[in-house]
Amino acid sequence: MKSKKVTVPQRKQKPGAYIKRYWQLYALLALPMLYLLIFKYIPMVYIQIAFKKYSIVQSVWEMPLAANHGFEYFIKAFSNKDFILALRNTIMLNLLDLVVGFPAPIIFALILNELCFKKFKRVVQTIAYMPHFLSWIIIYGLALQLFAPTNGLINMWITSMGFEPIPFLNESKHWVGTYVGLGVWQNFGWGSIVYLASIAGISPELYEAASVDGAGRFKKMWHITLPGIKPTIVTLLVMNLGGILGSGFDRPFALQNTIVRDVAEVISTYVYKVGIRGLQFSLTTAIGLFQSIVCVFFLLLSNWLARRLGERGIW
Amino acid sequence: MKKKFLSVLMAACMVCSLAACGNDSGQQSSAGNTGSEGSSSSVVENSEASGAENSGAEAGGEASGELVDGRFAETRHISVEVYDRGNDGGSDPTNNKYTEYIKKGMLEDHNVEVEFVKVPRWTEVEQINNLLAAGDAPDICLTYDYATIQIYADMGGVIDLAPLVDANVDITPNLWNWLEDANINYDRNPKTGTLWAIEGKRADIKRINTFVRRDWLEALNMEAPTTAQEFEDMLVAFKENASTLLGADADKMVPFSITTDVTWRAANIIDSYRDPAITDKEQYVNGYHVIARDGTKEAIRLVNKWYNMGLIWKDFALYDTSGTEETDMMKSGYVGAFIHNWDLPYRDGEDGIQANLQRLVGENAAYVAIDCFPDTAGKYSKSSYSTAGDRKLFFPTTNDEPLASLLYLDWISDPEHIKYLQIGDEGVTHEVFEDGAIGIIPATGDAIMNSGQNIDYTITCNGLNMFDDELTAKSAAHNYAAVAPELIITASEMAMHDALIPKAVQVGEISSESGMGSILGDKVKVMLSNCVMAPEADFDKTWDDAYTDWLNSGAQAIIDERLQKWEETYGDAEMLP
Repeated sequence: MKSKKVTVPQRKQKPGAYIKRYWQLYALLALPMLYLLIFKYIPMVYIQIAFKKYSIVQSVWEMPLAANHGFEYFIKAFSNKDFILALRNTIMLNLLDLVVGFPAPIIFALILNELCFKKFKRVVQTIAYMPHFLSWIIIYGLALQLFAPTNGLINMWITSMGFEPIPFLNESKHWVGTYVGLGVWQNFGWGSIVYLASIAGISPELYEAASVDGAGRFKKMWHITLPGIKPTIVTLLVMNLGGILGSGFDRPFALQNTIVRDVAEVISTYVYKVGIRGLQFSLTTAIGLFQSIVCVFFLLLSNWLARRLGERGIW
Repeated sequence: MKKKFLSVLMAACMVCSLAACGNDSGQQSSAGNTGSEGSSSSVVENSEASGAENSGAEAGGEASGELVDGRFAETRHISVEVYDRGNDGGSDPTNNKYTEYIKKGMLEDHNVEVEFVKVPRWTEVEQINNLLAAGDAPDICLTYDYATIQIYADMGGVIDLAPLVDANVDITPNLWNWLEDANINYDRNPKTGTLWAIEGKRADIKRINTFVRRDWLEALNMEAPTTAQEFEDMLVAFKENASTLLGADADKMVPFSITTDVTWRAANIIDSYRDPAITDKEQYVNGYHVIARDGTKEAIRLVNKWYNMGLIWKDFALYDTSGTEETDMMKSGYVGAFIHNWDLPYRDGEDGIQANLQRLVGENAAYVAIDCFPDTAGKYSKSSYSTAGDRKLFFPTTNDEPLASLLYLDWISDPEHIKYLQIGDEGVTHEVFEDGAIGIIPATGDAIMNSGQNIDYTITCNGLNMFDDELTAKSAAHNYAAVAPELIITASEMAMHDALIPKAVQVGEISSESGMGSILGDKVKVMLSNCVMAPEADFDKTWDDAYTDWLNSGAQAIIDERLQKWEETYGDAEMLP
């Protein structure tokens, strides 16, 4: 806070002079801003498709308004059983991801932090990052080789020991487990980087003081490390909650198969199938818009909660 | 200094990118404008028949004035879609010996420059969607999916061909001789008179066969099955003798292989459960999908029984139908029987299933076509294709040269041109046998045909057609590199044995079908995969629940509308006229 006060008087210049002085920095900033403007904001004009009857040959301004004051497609979506199913699956899979997947990198970072062999630590860390760089298509290929009921390596072991094969991929409940498990496997290493960085920022004096007071490993972890990275945890949690209704496309799409469709169809894959392949652009824009609005709502809500609980939130 | 230079560079970059954006948006808006003009005129065409006549008369009137001996006074330019199959070692689909032949011919005969635009074959619907939506579609587009054309036509993105075709009958003799009224007007709406697409013609309507491993039958001293029960017994025998047939690979044995596309991969079984006395009306009304037809449930029950007996590929539902896992199993010799395209194992020459099988298993190994699913009348009924229902040719509204495009369709339907494109030059792509039959030989470089018989260029003709039935049949058997002709002859006989040729029902557009194809088709895949894999005791419940859901998801509305449209068009008649 103090350092800010020092800089304020310097900045008290006319805006023109100020821009003139720092124009190079602004020129650098212009490109990313332009990127955001062109690829993120201008396309928002087309959100109106959700309220209009889509036509390829008309500009978005000329398309006629959809029935029911433009809400035809929202009503259609919510009276559609498949959409409700996709909505349920999205929330279910994301919540499971959050419950299982969110603590995993934290725990991993804490454990890694306790390792004293530097080299071993680094090797473990690097190996744990690796899955992050695999695409989901490749991961599904690996999963098929390992988990397929008859040809999968793991099931071949299981059956050779005289047990029934486990339907990792071809039974709904097991599939959910596989889906979440693979998600954790892919992401915990990468996710732990942020926590490790934030652990590194904790002052060593605190640990020394605790040692002097006779605190053991777990006490130090509980009373120093965890509170030290709490702001990071909260920030990431807020961002994760914001994405509760969103979902990547490639993970569910690559992992789903015909027989587990009842739990595997999520909003993004549903939008792809109905909107892109079924050519129902208005309907799926409406669904996408609904999804975004709920996400923003969750983001605001969790941010507000975080601030109420005494954390900084993300803004 | 360095810093300054860098910032100047950055600023320059920014200016450039700004300028680029400006151009982009400019283009977009102009494309939008032309698009909207097109739409307004086609909206008129939609609603008022008179409007359509006007624009048609214009196109027709202009045309005859402009053409001198079939040639335009000024060189015209059109673009034509061509599938890109991405073959290993293939030729460039937009620039090879055959495109040169077409370009040269069109320029000489009609003074029209032709440009080819490639579209990936396996994602053609998505790609053509993108091109249409962006206003970049080729002047002549083709797709196997009529629903896509209908959707874009409803949005005003497709030219109504009716006036154009009607006004130019006299200058398109080849088109009418080859496609005839049946295919040209196949999609003409009986009420509004609109014609969004012309149906290319299948020269070959063979569709589907049941294949078994002939060498396995011989090894087990069995006759080829002639009934479903004998087929089942054969599958059981394959399974029980897996170690004799496959040795160390016995656990990889798949007696009968299917994919999630169960309606296709069990089609002969399903057709054998069809009531032979079914009326045309019922066939049509419940014909949106075969699962709505009486008997199909029982056919799937049989497949379910086989699955639970361990006779069917256990993991089929985990794989996408576009994957190669199943084909690889066939090539390696693990699969005993399957139902598929009438010539599937013989396709692709040295890369094909039959050639691989012979290489990996032995000279004697072969898939042979059999007939073993009789219906209650004792006929081995199976559906063939009709001459229509293949590729549909349409002109998007961005086409500024509809007449030149129509002349292209006429040119490409000329028997001489079809013949040349299909067989190429003697000694380069084909040889002539003593009996006059024409056999395809492997070509190199520019002369490689990326698709069998160059069907990607002969867009109005699919299948070998020498315009002489006897020569065509003789040549067809020689047309499969690396496969013994007698296998082909058996397969083509079986495929047409008791075949049912679909009849054309013309009742206009069924609006409830629009946009539902992929959703309902997907639901059927999920439903039937689950039905096949269900425990036998749960079969009825699995089927009934999923079937009800399918009906409620839009299929019932389609069935109702089909019934209504049938009654509007044909009245009380149960059969087509």
